[in-house]
Parts: sequence; structure tokens; C-alpha cells
Amino acid sequence: MQRSFFLRHPSVLIFIGFLALFTLAVTLLADATGTGALSTSFVKTLGRTLCLCLVAIAMDVVWGYCGILSLGHFAFFGIGGYAIGMWLMYARTEEIVAASMAARPLPPTPQELTDAIGTQIFGVVGSSDFPAIWAFAHSLPLQLLAVVLVPGLLALVFGWLAFRSRVTGVYLSILTQAMTLALSLYLFQNDSGLRGNNGLSGLQNIPGAAELGQDVISIRFFWASALALGLGYVLFAWVTSGKMGSVIRAIRDDEARVRFLGYHVESYKLFVFTITAIVAGIAGAIYYPQAGIINPAEIAPIASIYLAVWVAIGGRGRLYGAVIGAAAVSLLSSWFTGGGAPPIDLGFYRILWTDWWLVLLGFAFVAVTLFFPKGIGGLFDLVMIRRPVEDRTGDYGPDAGAWRRDEGREEGEEDR
Amino acid sequence: MSTLLEVSGVSVTFDGFRAINNLSLSIGEPEMRAIIGPNGAGKTTMMDIITGKTKPDEGRVLWGEMSRNLLGMSESRIAQEGIGRKFQRPTVFEAQTVRENLALALKNRRGPFDVWLRGRRPEDEGRIGELAAEIGLTAELGRVSGELSHGQKQWLEIGMLLAQEPRLLLVDEPAAGMTPAEREHTTDLLKRAARTRAVIVVEHDMEFVRRLECKVTVLHEGRVLAEGSIDHVTSDQEVIDVYLGR
Repeated sequence: MQRSFFLRHPSVLIFIGFLALFTLAVTLLADATGTGALSTSFVKTLGRTLCLCLVAIAMDVVWGYCGILSLGHFAFFGIGGYAIGMWLMYARTEEIVAASMAARPLPPTPQELTDAIGTQIFGVVGSSDFPAIWAFAHSLPLQLLAVVLVPGLLALVFGWLAFRSRVTGVYLSILTQAMTLALSLYLFQNDSGLRGNNGLSGLQNIPGAAELGQDVISIRFFWASALALGLGYVLFAWVTSGKMGSVIRAIRDDEARVRFLGYHVESYKLFVFTITAIVAGIAGAIYYPQAGIINPAEIAPIASIYLAVWVAIGGRGRLYGAVIGAAAVSLLSSWFTGGGAPPIDLGFYRILWTDWWLVLLGFAFVAVTLFFPKGIGGLFDLVMIRRPVEDRTGDYGPDAGAWRRDEGREEGEEDR
Repeated sequence: MSTLLEVSGVSVTFDGFRAINNLSLSIGEPEMRAIIGPNGAGKTTMMDIITGKTKPDEGRVLWGEMSRNLLGMSESRIAQEGIGRKFQRPTVFEAQTVRENLALALKNRRGPFDVWLRGRRPEDEGRIGELAAEIGLTAELGRVSGELSHGQKQWLEIGMLLAQEPRLLLVDEPAAGMTPAEREHTTDLLKRAARTRAVIVVEHDMEFVRRLECKVTVLHEGRVLAEGSIDHVTSDQEVIDVYLGR
């Protein structure tokens, strides 16, 4: 009999349990649903952190399991954010414009309405016409489809070109970084159609939910983030377990050998690259309404490098490691850069953490790489009591002088 | 015995060095063939060409009843056609268990979605058990293969090769690093495999080749120098000059 998936992978169940407890605790402490001990902005921070954890496990699958150091996954995250942001901005502006025009003696024609929305949205970049990529912005279902399809297709095409040419290792990393940089530079232009460096803003206002306060919206998005993280975790645990996981890890360790076993390595890489890009896009679509604003700086290569740092610090090759790394480093980062950490006065110099946080993070990254290659997640290996592994079932040799099985076991225990 | 693989007029040059020079070779099914030759004779390059790793400058490699050209196919496609390869250095996936290694090699559908959604089938477990018994690693199935001894890794790789159920086995120095008893076991296993399929063994050790009791091809400077029984080739003056005499 095949045991159920969760029994074979108890860590998945433990993770889901922790996530559920955490969600419950936050719900009980939030403004809208509980005591109000947690401020609305902090609930948003926690919800955003869960989205970062989701993109981190996607990164862990592509890097830690499949060995592709992608420096482009935050670009997919950003694309997801832009896709949902276009609808949020369009629909919200439409509401406001319609309300202000309703007071006029003559009701506005559809064309007048569209023009007015265009002026509102694109006024900052000196334009009022809708660019072609806004063609579906009026429709939530179509933009939700774009959240999945645009990162997915971009990853599919990019991955197909890169993997087919057998670009691997650091060259592939550089290529993904170039893609990210090109995308962010393109978005920085005012005529890219996505408001240049202004980005999309006001995303925290959910159209059609004007009567709901931000406290309610924040906890709902927190729930959505927790649900997405839970589902994403189960999905990736499924992908990286069993035979699929075995093939993926084998590709990481020796892809030429996997080819000679008859596996089309490029298809597997493409599969992993694309599915993780889609999940990254979904994570971005839940993140940015909680952040309220998205601009091209979010997509800059540095963001994807951060992502790699989180996964390295948390522990590559284990999903919960990526979650721990993303949560710990991003929360610490907002504590240090938000002025939460007290400055250290050395007499001759005052260490302001807003300036020095990046240096500290850099040292932490180097230290983890050199001294704890397994990252924070590796601590679990130390904490867990290792069950002694029986190295043999019988005696050590056939003749009378050979060790009996128990002697070997005692020796092994002394070693420990 | 019908022809399974026909290498004809193949040449390949690396930076001006002719590694393979108008090589022709044909293997039947079933057949055992040993290939010997001094270092640099082109033995490994020949295997690279058959398995699709190296593209030759000219020539053809024809395969099977339909005489299809292997040269346009990818490595994975060629492996799926039924050509299995064992490398000189044991290359098993050291971070994975013996069971996982064997499961990876089992002849099954190889597409990502097949593997992901169907996973490991119940009947695979039985096949893995049989293979493990054949290569003497039943007790080690749950162990991480990086912990195995050199000889056990060689065995595991042979087991993985058998798991693929190839029609043609390319075996590069199978006896390297094995004890005399293990060598004997290897010979038996290869001979048994050669009853139903084609086996090409590249080997330096003449004693080992003699025990295989098969036709021998001697390669030298990328071409076939002599072909025939072991006694025939070892008495060939040219072979003695370039290889055995040194």
C-alpha cells in the first residue's frame, strides 16, 4: 500500500500546521477581527512577508533543487504585481471619475469616460491615451489570467531559448539578470505605457470595496497570502518529492548523466522554470495590493539577488529553509531600515543601521556561505535526534573472530 | 543475427587532431563485442558519437531495423531508442539512495508530466528488488549511494544500465577497480546480457577480454586495425607493434 503524501512527508504537515497557527494568531490580534494588538500596517507587513516566502520557495525549487541560479524570479513577481495593479488602478479610477461626472447635467458618453480615466492615470507621464497593453485592464478575470500567463509565457520562451542552447551555470544567471535588467529599464521609460518610474499606485484601494476599511482589507489579504503560501508549499513539495524530485535533483548534480538515462533535461528545466515563474507571478499579485505601489525599481536585478540571498541564508534544497530565510531576512531588513534598531554610538562614529544594514546582510551572507552552507534550515538537522542508521543487518563477517552485530552497534554509539 | 548498429565512414576532428578517422563498425543483435586499443585510439570518442554527445564531421551511424540515422538525435532520444552507457568512472547520483538511482533508470516514460503525475508505479518496486538482487545490493537499497564502496558503485551503475533495458549496452572499462571475484561476476553478467542484446565492452585488461570469449575489435588512431577472435588479433603483427608490444 502506498502511504499518503503527507505521511511520507511529515515536514509538509508540520509546516501547514505552523502556518495555520500563525494565521489564527494574527487573526485574533488584528484590528478588524481581534483585539487590535497588531496595527493594520503590521498586518500588511506580515501578509507581504508571506508572499515573499512564497516567491522564495519558488526560487528554492529552481535553484536549490534544480540548480538553476535564476536572477529573474523577482521580475516574474513584479509582472504579476503589474498585471493585477493595472486592473486595480483602472477600476478604482473609473469609480472616482464616474462619481464626479454623475453630477453633470448630461451623463458622460463611454468615450468621455474612457478619456477621463486615461487623463487621470497617464497625466503624470504627459499623456491621456490608453496604450495597447491596457486593453484588458477593465476586466478583472482577464488581468487575473495575465497574472498567470504573462510570467508563464515569458519564462517559457526565455527558458526555451536559454536551455535549448545549453547555457548553464553562471552564464545562465547572467542571462536571467540581463532579462530582468532589460525589463526594468523598459518599464522605467515613460512611453512604456506603465507610467514609467511612477509605477502604479493606490493599489491598496480595492474597487467595489469602498465601504470596507483598510483594517478589513489587510486581514483578508493576509488570509489570501497565507492560503497561497500553503497551497504553493504543497504544490512544490509534490513537485520535489518522489520520482520527479529525484530527476530534478539528479539534473542539478549531473545533467549529462541524466541525459544518457533518456531524460530530456531541457524539458524538465523548462517545466521547473515556468511553474516557479507562474507561482512567483501569483505571489506578486497578492503582494502589491498590500504594498499599495509598484514601480520599476521593484523589478531591478537587486531584488532578484536579494531573493537568492534569502534562500541561501535560509537553506537551499529544503522548502521550509526558504520560508525561514525570506521571513527572517525581510522582517529584519524592515526593522533595521525602518529605524527600529537602536544606533550604536562608538564615540568617534555612530553606526546608523539604515546605512549599515546592507553591510551586515553582506557579512551574514558570506558567513552563511562559508560556515553554514546548509543555512538556517540546516539547524534542524542538528536539533533532530538522528536515529542511528543500521549499517548492516547481520554480523560483520562469517568467521568466528568477526564482530557480532551488537558489537558494531556499540562502537557506532561510542562514535556518536 | 541481424545488424543493430552500423557505424560507417565516421570521422571527427578536434582542433586539427583526428580522433576518429573513417571508422566503420557493425554490431549485431545479440552480440558481444570487445573493443581494445591503446590510449588515444578513439574508444571513448566512438562511444560519445554513438550516444550523441559528439557530432562527427562526416559519416553515418545507422540504428535498428529501419536503419535510422542516430546523428540527428539528442542524447536523451538516443537513450530512449535503447542505447545504454556505462561510464569509466562510476557516475551514480551520490546524494540519492540506491533505490532512487535504480528507479531513475527504470524503463518508463520519460516526459516531465508522465514522471510528475504518474510517479513511481507499484510494479517498479518489484523490478527494483530483482535488479538489486542481481547486482547484490539488496541490503543497501535504502542507503545513500555516495556511501557505497567503489565496487558497489560500479555495480549500481551496471544495475542502472540493466534497468534501462537497452538493446545496446556500451560499457567502458567495467572491471576497473574491482576485485577478482567481482570481475568474474561482471563477466558472467555481461555474457548473460549478451544473449539477448548487443553489448560493446571497452577494456584495457586482456585477461578480462579473453574471458568474455567474443569477437574483438582493435582500434588505433581512430580506425579499426584488426578484427576477429582474441587469438587472431593478438597474433596480428601490426597489433603487436602498436599495442601489445609496447
